[in-house]
Amino acid sequence: MSDREKLSAPEQFAKDATGWLQQIIHTPVEYVSSIFTAIDDMKNVYDENQRLKEELNQYQQTLYEVQELRKENKKLESIIDKTDSDNIDAYRPIQASVTSRSPEQWFKQVTINKGTQDGIKKNMAVITGEGMIGKIQSTSQFSSTVLLLNGFDRSNRISVKVNLPDKEEDASGFILGYDEERESLLLEFTDYDHEIKEDSYVFSSGLGGVFPKGLEIGKITEVTMDQYGLSKVAYVETSADLSDIYHVIVIDRQMDGAIEETEGEDKE
Amino acid sequence: MSRIYIPLLLLFLFVIEGIGYDFIPNAMLQQGWLLVAHWAFIFIILMGLFYDLEKTYYSILAAIIIGLMRDVIYTDIIGVYMFAYGLVIYFIHGVRKVLHANFFVTLLLVIVGVILVDSGVSFAYYSIGINKMLFTDYLFSRLLPTLGFNILVFCLLYPIFKNRLLTWSENRFSNK
Repeated sequence: MSDREKLSAPEQFAKDATGWLQQIIHTPVEYVSSIFTAIDDMKNVYDENQRLKEELNQYQQTLYEVQELRKENKKLESIIDKTDSDNIDAYRPIQASVTSRSPEQWFKQVTINKGTQDGIKKNMAVITGEGMIGKIQSTSQFSSTVLLLNGFDRSNRISVKVNLPDKEEDASGFILGYDEERESLLLEFTDYDHEIKEDSYVFSSGLGGVFPKGLEIGKITEVTMDQYGLSKVAYVETSADLSDIYHVIVIDRQMDGAIEETEGEDKE
Repeated sequence: MSRIYIPLLLLFLFVIEGIGYDFIPNAMLQQGWLLVAHWAFIFIILMGLFYDLEKTYYSILAAIIIGLMRDVIYTDIIGVYMFAYGLVIYFIHGVRKVLHANFFVTLLLVIVGVILVDSGVSFAYYSIGINKMLFTDYLFSRLLPTLGFNILVFCLLYPIFKNRLLTWSENRFSNK
């Protein structure tokens, strides 16, 4: 909503002060609730353990493959003089905890306990272990506000790719916004050629300039045409649960020479 | 003492409004209910009825300050809550002359207050396009759950603070 580049000093102060108080109250609350979750989890520990052991065996093999591929990739990169900062998927993670959520629920925003002092800037992507949850909307010195994916509209486009396992190329498109009724993100494709299956994974393409490549966003639930029948759209269910967020990672992109920030930026 | 206690209590209620979301059971959220916490506002209504005298306006000052803080910290648009809280508390402060404040009258005023604030704010957001809900959807998925949720909190706050507010008020204003 707010088009301002920076918050004014009194606003930043008020946000920091309440953020700090909230953290004091939130920490014991979270501790208690985590004890209850732990008790809940204990019930199915055995089953999970069995399954995880099996999966672990498979992972060993994949790990070996990945290591080999990584080595080979390094070698090839050194041949062409490519450095880490040139990669569009390079980023520096900043760990943060959620301290509060706006009680006015039409503003899909949460507050986290890291701010400008920790290197957070406007429009950085925010993820959890499961996938992307939103972007930084505004920053104060010691806290910042995150706009969740379900609050995105046409002015917060994300350039994405859809993983097509049986093709060489990925399908590309834009996340246009959030459909309240269907509770899923709206994706518009930029090309028509691909046959897109449901359950394909959607991830950020890194081409928009702000978000790095490869952040998981969600899974396609339905592919249709848009209301005028001119372009192909799909509904995407977010991988991360947006109503249940405690710890997040803010993505500080490492690309040298900041590109023009077109993505996530307000452009109407 | 009320000079310290009341601002601290208000600040505390305001701060836990932002954390309150964690306490709401998931089953309710899956129903699509929007529960909005107006806890500090309920305390200000109690203040207006039991703390303020007819010629003092501390509750309106508190409403404007808390409303402004809510605008700055929890939303993006400054002025909406400040105006809504201030106006409704002014109205409640005005009615107290007419009504004798017991539990049910207070409950009634809380219900009216929450309905006015919530629908007023929603209307303001509707007219600038943040809230795209239709009125009937709004009524059933936000107004009624919010009302119930806040009445619950009111039933907790009322027995704890009614007599305290009266004592604080007496201590502060009687010797003038």
